Amino acid sequence: MTRLTLLAAGAGAFALAACGGNEAPAEAQADTSAAETETAAPAEAAAAPVDEAAQAIAGTLTDVESGAYNLDRTHAYLGFYVGHANGISKYRVGFADWDADLTFDAANPAASSLSMTINPAELLVDYTGDYKASHPDSEFETWHDDLAFNDRWLNADEFPEITFTSTGISLTGPNTGEVTGDLTFLGQTKPVTLDVTYNGLANAPWNAEQDLIGFTASTKITRSEWGMEAAIPWIGDEVKVTFSGEFQQDMS
Amino acid sequence: MESPVRPIVSIAALAALAGCVTTTQSLEAIDNATYTLDPTHAFLTASVTHFGISDYRIDLTGFDAQLDFDADTPTASRLSVQIDPMALDTHYPDPEKKAEWEAELSTDGRFLDGDDFPSITFASTSIEQTGEQTGRVTGALNLRGITNPVTLDVTFNGSATSPLDGGRRRIGFTASGSFNRSDFGMNALTQFVSDDVRISFSGEFIEAE
Repeated sequence: MTRLTLLAAGAGAFALAACGGNEAPAEAQADTSAAETETAAPAEAAAAPVDEAAQAIAGTLTDVESGAYNLDRTHAYLGFYVGHANGISKYRVGFADWDADLTFDAANPAASSLSMTINPAELLVDYTGDYKASHPDSEFETWHDDLAFNDRWLNADEFPEITFTSTGISLTGPNTGEVTGDLTFLGQTKPVTLDVTYNGLANAPWNAEQDLIGFTASTKITRSEWGMEAAIPWIGDEVKVTFSGEFQQDMS
Repeated sequence: MESPVRPIVSIAALAALAGCVTTTQSLEAIDNATYTLDPTHAFLTASVTHFGISDYRIDLTGFDAQLDFDADTPTASRLSVQIDPMALDTHYPDPEKKAEWEAELSTDGRFLDGDDFPSITFASTSIEQTGEQTGRVTGALNLRGITNPVTLDVTFNGSATSPLDGGRRRIGFTASGSFNRSDFGMNALTQFVSDDVRISFSGEFIEAE
């Protein structure tokens, strides 16, 4: 069961200092609704209609080999969303350098374990503007570097690794579970729970011996709890982290 | 593909200005006007199911959109979107292979065929309001030179004004929809990759000057 991930951190925007009194409740609501909708993406992934042909590939848990699994980085996504402009849109950032190891127990998925490491210095921000032109005062050349290295944000020089290590798994349905673990981020370690869906087993025709198992997962963290407080609420405090991807049975 | 709209807001400057920001979910505050996408605060993602077991994401990183927003009668609004099939982010790990894979997706006749069809477009044809903040936007999606109707479920998340936008309002939306790629002649690898393609968007539009 599991893979997951997590991490998170905020994105950015700055101290738009809270100017008093502008419909704060509405803003909060907007933030939440944006987050909920966005949640739809991962949830939908699990629930999405799958082609019959593709479905035929997916097997059941009882057919899956237990043991060590490695993340297939070419078929995996890890990123986070945060509300922007008091929640009127969701801002999305992907992680470009990360890995995960899964020890999967197919007979007793709750006995599985997961660990994940993320490099906060490598992000996918897809910033399309001229950052230097619009941010002449920034000490950083690019939005990527600002987000990755600014001590208001991911502070990657000081904290070059974000890690998640599972500590307990509970099953919530035939294909779903909660993976609780320790998230170490910005030098602080706190528990986080991931909602995980097991999407099934596949065997590629060109390598039929090796089991491939797929998961979708998400969680929400409150970034201020890890000490990242900049620009709240213009940039939301709540960070939604999402994952979908495949693990390959370790054949070595 | 037109070049993306310039970023409008300098966030650092905003901070310096310490001006007041106003945010509201009400439509009443919003002017009927043309709004253009703020590409630095917007994403557009296409997802397919791989092997039936994972969600494979392709971020479309070069796109622009114009919205003629009618706050009095939202169903009278009009949306048009232009997407550059050559600008993708697949999250592939190895930089060299990533570039190769993205180029293949962009240009191969089995995929986006971007050399022959350099723009993917969506133009709204009708809008239905389904709730106070939600609606369904149906439009014509032209992909690989083939046009089919696609419907997006859209949520209006509210609007904000800040001094650095020069008094112009930014409005935010979240949207999702899906289509069958085979309807656009994209039939490759259907034994491994779903026919169903999910689209997901969130972003902000700024009132045109």
